[in-house]
Amino acid sequence: MPDRFSAFSFVDRITALEAGQRACGRFLIPAGLPAFSTCLVAEAVGQLAAWVAMAQAEFRRRPVAALSAETRIVGEASPGDILDLGVEIERCDPDAVAYGGWARVADTPVLEMCGCVGPMLPLEDFDAPEAMRGDFETLCGPGARPSRFPGITAPDLSLIERIPGRRLRAALHVPVSAPFFGDHFPRRTVFPASLLLDAQIRLAVRLAGETLPPGEPLRPVRVADVKMRSFILPGHAVEIETVMRSATDRAAELTLAAMVAGKRVATGRMEIVSQAPG
Amino acid sequence: MTTADITREEILAVYPKVAKIMADALGCDVEQVRLDVSLIDGLNAESIDFLDLVFGLERTFKVKIPRGKIVEDARGDLPAAAFEEKGYLTDVGLKRLREYLSEVPADRFDSPMRVGDIPRLFTPETFCKVVARGLRAQGAEGTSAPRPDA
Repeated sequence: MPDRFSAFSFVDRITALEAGQRACGRFLIPAGLPAFSTCLVAEAVGQLAAWVAMAQAEFRRRPVAALSAETRIVGEASPGDILDLGVEIERCDPDAVAYGGWARVADTPVLEMCGCVGPMLPLEDFDAPEAMRGDFETLCGPGARPSRFPGITAPDLSLIERIPGRRLRAALHVPVSAPFFGDHFPRRTVFPASLLLDAQIRLAVRLAGETLPPGEPLRPVRVADVKMRSFILPGHAVEIETVMRSATDRAAELTLAAMVAGKRVATGRMEIVSQAPG
Repeated sequence: MTTADITREEILAVYPKVAKIMADALGCDVEQVRLDVSLIDGLNAESIDFLDLVFGLERTFKVKIPRGKIVEDARGDLPAAAFEEKGYLTDVGLKRLREYLSEVPADRFDSPMRVGDIPRLFTPETFCKVVARGLRAQGAEGTSAPRPDA
């Protein structure tokens, strides 16, 4: 399994750990990548929290992405940057982990997350527990080989419906196979929630661009009340939708939704502003 | 402390905030969150919604609601084997559950009743009681109970 612990892994080293309480970690964004999405920064924070939770559960259970009350996007991370990550575990038991976290680049905040909750599921359904324990020891010791993440080709989006300035609906074609599925997860392939969110943000930015005055670049600054209701699997045809809730001349608030076979699988809200970074 | 000890006033004191949290978790209007509506059959709640709801209540009211607490509290001091058998409530277990979920109409309890179907009985009032009991327990420990709107 060449993609395991590399094709969708965003913690190179755990630099500080208080078991079940908090941790800090690092990830070098490979310099050769064309870009690094903010959603992958959030994925990195979530993965650090997952390592803490799995260790606390003696590698019998692992969390999966489910709820995120608020993510504030306050900066950017670029290829070649070192992401410093931190998580505070609010609660961790065999059923769920609740946490908040942050990511920084050279002491400059990039992302802040709070109110994240992941149900804990049997780890052996997703990966080999002993292999995960070994990976954790590597992360806490010398660290994993940096720059092993090869990058991701964002799944295609095809517009299905457009009500200018009010609503966009698009088809997201989840590939049947991709290297990241080998790491997410080796025994049970699941389309990462962070990649779904990335597609939703792309669609939301497009809709905001139809409403906010032209000029300044559009920046997603806040994602709230994200809820993943069920797994999205390889090959799934996903419909994603964004609807404008309110807009001023500088900011837009939108809702996000994703459906598979008529069933709502994910919801959330986000805010996009029109302003130059910094 | 038994459920019967929880007064109507205590339930109504927390209900507005509980209803708001439920409406947010379920994506429905707060007016739909009547005290007696079934969360699963009436408001289409799924397991992830219960997780969302419980963490929302814990954060808002600063109370601990361990998973499975409602069933555990209903069982009380009854040994597990006397409460359920092969996934179904015993007669004694069902009696205990009816007493504990006194807000749920009698005709909504199956007989025999699968343990896995117990959440279908839950209503907003069920969770108002859980919160009220948590706030009472905090008071009993000598801590100052936070205001429901904190």
